[in-house]
Amino acid sequence: MAVGHVPARARIMGRDWPGTKSLRAWRSGPVSRRINNLVSGGARGFRRATPSPPPEAKMKTILSSETMDIPDGVTIKVNAKVIEVEGPRGKLTRNFKHLNLDFQLIKDEETGKRKLRIEAWFGTRKTSAAIRTALSHVENLITGVTKGYRYKMRFVYAHFPINASIQNSNKSIEIRNFLGEKKVEMLEGVSVVRSEKVKDELVVDGNDIELVSRSCALINQKCHVKNKDIRKFLDGIYVSEKGTILTEE
Amino acid sequence: MPFKRHVEIGRVALINYGKEYGRLVVIVDVVDQNRALVDAPDMVRMQMNFKRLSLTDIKIDIKRIPQKKTLVAAMQEADVQGKWDKSSWGRKLVVQKRRASLNDFDRFKLMLAKIKRSGLIRQELAKLKKESAS
Repeated sequence: MAVGHVPARARIMGRDWPGTKSLRAWRSGPVSRRINNLVSGGARGFRRATPSPPPEAKMKTILSSETMDIPDGVTIKVNAKVIEVEGPRGKLTRNFKHLNLDFQLIKDEETGKRKLRIEAWFGTRKTSAAIRTALSHVENLITGVTKGYRYKMRFVYAHFPINASIQNSNKSIEIRNFLGEKKVEMLEGVSVVRSEKVKDELVVDGNDIELVSRSCALINQKCHVKNKDIRKFLDGIYVSEKGTILTEE
Repeated sequence: MPFKRHVEIGRVALINYGKEYGRLVVIVDVVDQNRALVDAPDMVRMQMNFKRLSLTDIKIDIKRIPQKKTLVAAMQEADVQGKWDKSSWGRKLVVQKRRASLNDFDRFKLMLAKIKRSGLIRQELAKLKKESAS
């Protein structure tokens, strides 16, 4: 609010405003006098060869904002940069407290839809860029909660087939016959299934895109080949398709 | 949660630092990202840093940099002083000023009044407790 801290018992009357007493005391005090002597001391004073030039000020856009529609069938709660999305497939939350943005839910205008509006006041280029990414994250939350995410991975091998068995009620996968035995645990809310009709395919399902894709990455990384030319040793488990569980025509 | 009081032409603000501390002014133009041109009926038009201003809920309808008499007329029409005096913020400032200007005898009288008032409240509370206990 004020330039300086406004003390509780401020002298409101008269020409003094809160902070003048300490300001005057500082300006005429011993420390300030010594600093003044040093700066204006000439040869004996504190000299800088050339003062360093001030850094260039970045341009700030007064207000940049974007809105997105919220489809029906999904309830969104926004409270202090924590977004909670609930839909037919479950509930997801995401914390945007690391961003310096304002999130608000706007009531319907004439169209009759609810919208999410994200605003950045006096933002640099990077904060204005973060608006759209935050919206994309929320969009992913919404599709995760309505359609879900399904990533498909294929086993790729030149000669020796990769054996994989699902354990722990679709929560972990054990890979055999590929540079030893490897066990990968899926993250929370993510399940793996060996595809029935397609040979050597894994289907990774889940609601949260971050967790699903990270689980796929964990499986993929366990099958990296070390100390060999990877252009020749192409074996491994790779993500072949990124899609949703419910597909609409 | 979104900002409700915006810096705009016609926004009434309170100066919270500097020589003009405590004065109600109207933002009449925006100089740059940090400064505004500010005007009031009994003051020369001047530029101020936004950090010295606290925005209020009151807004009047004026065009950019109006003449002094148009500004005064607009302020009368919107009854800025009246709205300010009725608002809780305006009333609180009066009370703060009064409290800061008390002398020792006033504070003594205040202490007696507080004691008397809390005594009455305690009596009523005791009565209510007795009723609810029985």
